[in-house]
Amino acid sequence: MVNPIKLEVIKNALISVAEEMGAVLQRTAFSPNIKERRDFSCAIFDRHGRMVAQAAHIPVHLGSMPMSVRSIVESLELKEGDMAVINDPFKGGTHLPDVTVVAPVYYGGELLFYVANRAHHADVGGITPGSMPLSTSIFQEGLVIPPVKCVENGEVLKDFLNLLKANTRTSEEREGDFKAQVMANRVGIKRLREFLEKYGSEFLEAYSEALLDYSERMMRSVISEIPDGVYTFGDFLDDDGAGRRNVRIRVVLTVKGDEATVDFSPSDPQVRGCLNAVRSIVVSSTLYVFRCLAGEEIPTNEGILRPIKVITKPGTVVDAEFPAAVSGGNVETSQRITDVLLGALSKALPERIPAASQGTMNNLTFGNEKFTYYETIGGGAGAGNGFDGARAVHTHMTNTLNTPVEALEFQFPVMVTRYGVRRGSGGDGKWRGGDGIVRELLFLEEVDVTVVSERRVHSPYGLNGGKPGKRGKNVLVKPEGEEVELPAKFTRRFHPGEKLRIETPGGGGWGRKVSF
Amino acid sequence: MVIVGVDTGGTFTDFIYLKDGKWQVLKILSTPHNPAEAVLKGLSEIGGDERRITHGTTVATNAVLERKGAKTAFITNRGFEDLLEIGRQNREELYSFRVKKVKHLVPEELTFGLSCRLNSEGKHVETLKEEEVEELVEKLKSLGVESVAVSFLFSFLDPEDEIKVKEALEKEGFPVSISSEIVPEFREFERASTTVVNAYVMPKMKGYIEYLVKNLQSGDTLRVMQSNGGVISPETAAKEPVRTVLSGPAGGVVGAWKLGKLSGFEKLITFDMGGTSTDVSLIDGRPKLSVESKIADLPIKVPVIEIHTVGAGGGSVAWIDRGGALQVGPESAGADPGPICYGKGERITVTDANLFLGRLDPEHFLGGKMKLYPERLRPYFEEMAKRLGITPIELAEGILEVANAKMAKALRVISVERGYDPEEFTLFSFGGAGGMHAAYLAKELSIPRVFIPKNPGILSALGMVLSDVVKDYSRTVMLKEEEATAETLEEHFRELEERAKREMEREGFEGELLLERHLDLRYRGQSFEITVPYSKEFREVFEKAHEKLYGYRHSRDVEVVNVRLRAVGITEKPSFEPLKECGEGFPEGALLKCKKVFFEGEWVETPVLDREKLLLGHRFSGPAVVVEYSSTTVVPPFAKVRVDSFGNLLLEVENG
Repeated sequence: MVNPIKLEVIKNALISVAEEMGAVLQRTAFSPNIKERRDFSCAIFDRHGRMVAQAAHIPVHLGSMPMSVRSIVESLELKEGDMAVINDPFKGGTHLPDVTVVAPVYYGGELLFYVANRAHHADVGGITPGSMPLSTSIFQEGLVIPPVKCVENGEVLKDFLNLLKANTRTSEEREGDFKAQVMANRVGIKRLREFLEKYGSEFLEAYSEALLDYSERMMRSVISEIPDGVYTFGDFLDDDGAGRRNVRIRVVLTVKGDEATVDFSPSDPQVRGCLNAVRSIVVSSTLYVFRCLAGEEIPTNEGILRPIKVITKPGTVVDAEFPAAVSGGNVETSQRITDVLLGALSKALPERIPAASQGTMNNLTFGNEKFTYYETIGGGAGAGNGFDGARAVHTHMTNTLNTPVEALEFQFPVMVTRYGVRRGSGGDGKWRGGDGIVRELLFLEEVDVTVVSERRVHSPYGLNGGKPGKRGKNVLVKPEGEEVELPAKFTRRFHPGEKLRIETPGGGGWGRKVSF
Repeated sequence: MVIVGVDTGGTFTDFIYLKDGKWQVLKILSTPHNPAEAVLKGLSEIGGDERRITHGTTVATNAVLERKGAKTAFITNRGFEDLLEIGRQNREELYSFRVKKVKHLVPEELTFGLSCRLNSEGKHVETLKEEEVEELVEKLKSLGVESVAVSFLFSFLDPEDEIKVKEALEKEGFPVSISSEIVPEFREFERASTTVVNAYVMPKMKGYIEYLVKNLQSGDTLRVMQSNGGVISPETAAKEPVRTVLSGPAGGVVGAWKLGKLSGFEKLITFDMGGTSTDVSLIDGRPKLSVESKIADLPIKVPVIEIHTVGAGGGSVAWIDRGGALQVGPESAGADPGPICYGKGERITVTDANLFLGRLDPEHFLGGKMKLYPERLRPYFEEMAKRLGITPIELAEGILEVANAKMAKALRVISVERGYDPEEFTLFSFGGAGGMHAAYLAKELSIPRVFIPKNPGILSALGMVLSDVVKDYSRTVMLKEEEATAETLEEHFRELEERAKREMEREGFEGELLLERHLDLRYRGQSFEITVPYSKEFREVFEKAHEKLYGYRHSRDVEVVNVRLRAVGITEKPSFEPLKECGEGFPEGALLKCKKVFFEGEWVETPVLDREKLLLGHRFSGPAVVVEYSSTTVVPPFAKVRVDSFGNLLLEVENG
């Protein structure tokens, strides 16, 4: 029988291993995405490749880490001291910059667990610096890494490292990030072994299993509080970055007792541009939404998903097939998938679900042959029943930090000329949506700029009579002051003296505003 | 001469003083409306003259926590007025529909931008306009602003603009804090936040200090405790109060450091378990400092003794979550209603679990002055145990195990995760509830020994008496390895040293200063720095530290981010006389009674001993319970105790 006390003790122990891995990765990495923005995740898996513990990092990684690990477990035999790497979106990755490194944990000669971490590298090749291009095929996005061994017998494989370095604009930095990932896994292995030593392998394995059941129980109890029924909702992506407008995403949510089915198959077919999402992103968004619904701490592991059936149709924009372009699916489509699922839930639980948040990450990449830099910009959060939406903040599938202006300017030929709240952009209502951000950059050198943003055409929705949030805007400001509005997604060469101003969307309002 | 340490706490203001060659302790009820009253009352009871007083105050701390500071304005570059609100752009909780962000201390309408701007080389891209400054001064006057914080981008490279604004405002009588003086380091949000906290608490702190100084006797001297473990003059404290906002727990750590050292232990992990939370820190020869601290979720970048806090304490409430697992905390029963055994509470706490197992003795709780109700416990334990499918005893043990697991995690974060081996350390336990858990935590982490000081309740006040005058200086220089020549660094250090010497002179130190040089280094491209002592071989020292912390080195260039200088003025310290009276073997004279206590699955007949009667040389093995006025020490069967020559208890813990 499972002891409720030991369960709590083991839960803490496993999470602390993942957290420590994260601390090592963040502090020693070189990509701003990892070190300043914390765009990474660490997790522990059982011998079957099931995720048993994860540190609270980035929601969009939640569902896809297990698929990466399984892909490796199924295709490679990892001995003690080996590690493997993967970023292939069609084999469990999300988009190419997200590189996952997996290591087996042997104890007494037996493989008992895996540790893994995923981190967003600043550049893995492809047609534009930063590897977040407006592509039409995966082959334009950079180096595709299928499951391959990268560490053998404790030694990093030089061949692999050289191959990786030869395919990126910033090879030294890649080596640094990759080593940080390997080190994080080593720390994870070491700590997990200490716990194996302390508790015994049989005990630890039994309780990792019990943890899955535990999270499942919690999730069932959450779902049983949702009224039974069938709820549908749909919304649009502005465009796919390659000329196709108004891409529809639709969900049918069925709740019955303590189980739910989330069916995204009525969504549009996959597109030519880069906004395709792979299935694992739908899984991540679903996990995130239900996890928020719980309102209390549920240990993040695969048990959460047991009472939830996620259905996607291969070949659609939410379950793209090789060789689709996917660079924006992870960052943009994931936000819309979340909006759509929340919209469906709002019909079941109208008092509990907030209006749409900004619904984009406003991905900005710039660089030239000497450097690359990537950032995302926050916006307005949706208002809810009893509260205004927060202003100028990252919402839903991301929670990365900004790069300090002084850190940015010390390192790159750019000046930030404005960074503030975009007042009046939140949707009106009984409760107001949060305002977005205005960020303006002045380029001091010639650079190629790529922006992948959303909610420039379709506004973040309000709920229960609340007004939608204001759409975002991307503007080129020429040296003489002339302003040219740019599309939601573009790649463009900026000359010294030119500025880019990004105005991010506001959140939707909640409830009808009553005026006297 | 009389030496006095005064520590203002929530309930009591603690005094420890050396008068006529004797250490004495005094407790006075705190006077929150004006904490100086309790301080002055105690001082008048202590009497004497030419008193050297060291004071730990929570005036600045409480002003922030309660948001009762001055009406503060924030001045920055135009276009960046929302710097404080945006912060780092992230939300506090990942999984919540209600996105929350920390509100900073300055409201939107009191934030102003001026059109001036430096670039990353410290050159003006736009110069400050005098007429804008004049306009601003008028505006702030009309708004009734009480204090002003100024932080411009890259001001640490050239503070001229900040100084100009400061001078203009000071002419009109505004108290002004500028970022290039408070913390001249890069990362604009954290620097601005620190400067704003300083401005926000400054008027209150100044009023408090002036009142206190005015009411001291002539011949008295006063020094104020800082969060970095050192003391400063009242004048400095009034000007840079942000340096005191986390001084509360710092006093305890300094006390542990000095007492540990006196008894021969230089490597300590301090463990301060209170009612709602537990503070832990690591001392490796000296306390570790951090520049990434927060108060009420607001970053402050000044050096602070690194303390890790976890939401588990004696009052932490036990509950069952929807997955059927036992949880303890972070919610606390507080003082009201308090634990069930205090007579009113309805929810089981850690204290209740200790009492249920016989580890707390109702007769000797707070010297028997506070009544406990052990008979109230059983129905609550039975009810919850039934829901979990275990026995009430298993529940009580389970509550302690879960609470211990939380605290062990905190101890692991500051030791194992930073590359320190707990086996080389001693667990220094103080705070009311710590003694009941310390031995178990030591065993859990393979720490060989627990140190329980004499008078654990006034450790903080004692730490203050034993502190030196310490001032920390720093500056971001951002030098590439090849630029960081000995001459360049020397120049930067000299600049800081000149300021340090000037200011330490005002603190009453001429000449006899200890100046410690440090560098904040990182591999080029990383964004977290490691602070190492400066030497010509700084690269090697840094690489060793990187390896210890993270397990590996790089071949990359190293970058010098900040230069740091610590100026220490050694104060005259009182000495401690070892105990004269000796005992031997089991302390029969201290035996109060024997009672049944639950240890490792059975009720064991256990002696209850009076701490006051334990003498140098006394030795005994667990199980035992040692009681004193403000705390209880549980000696489990796996621990052995001896009393050292200063009256401290040393528990040797068998591991493995």
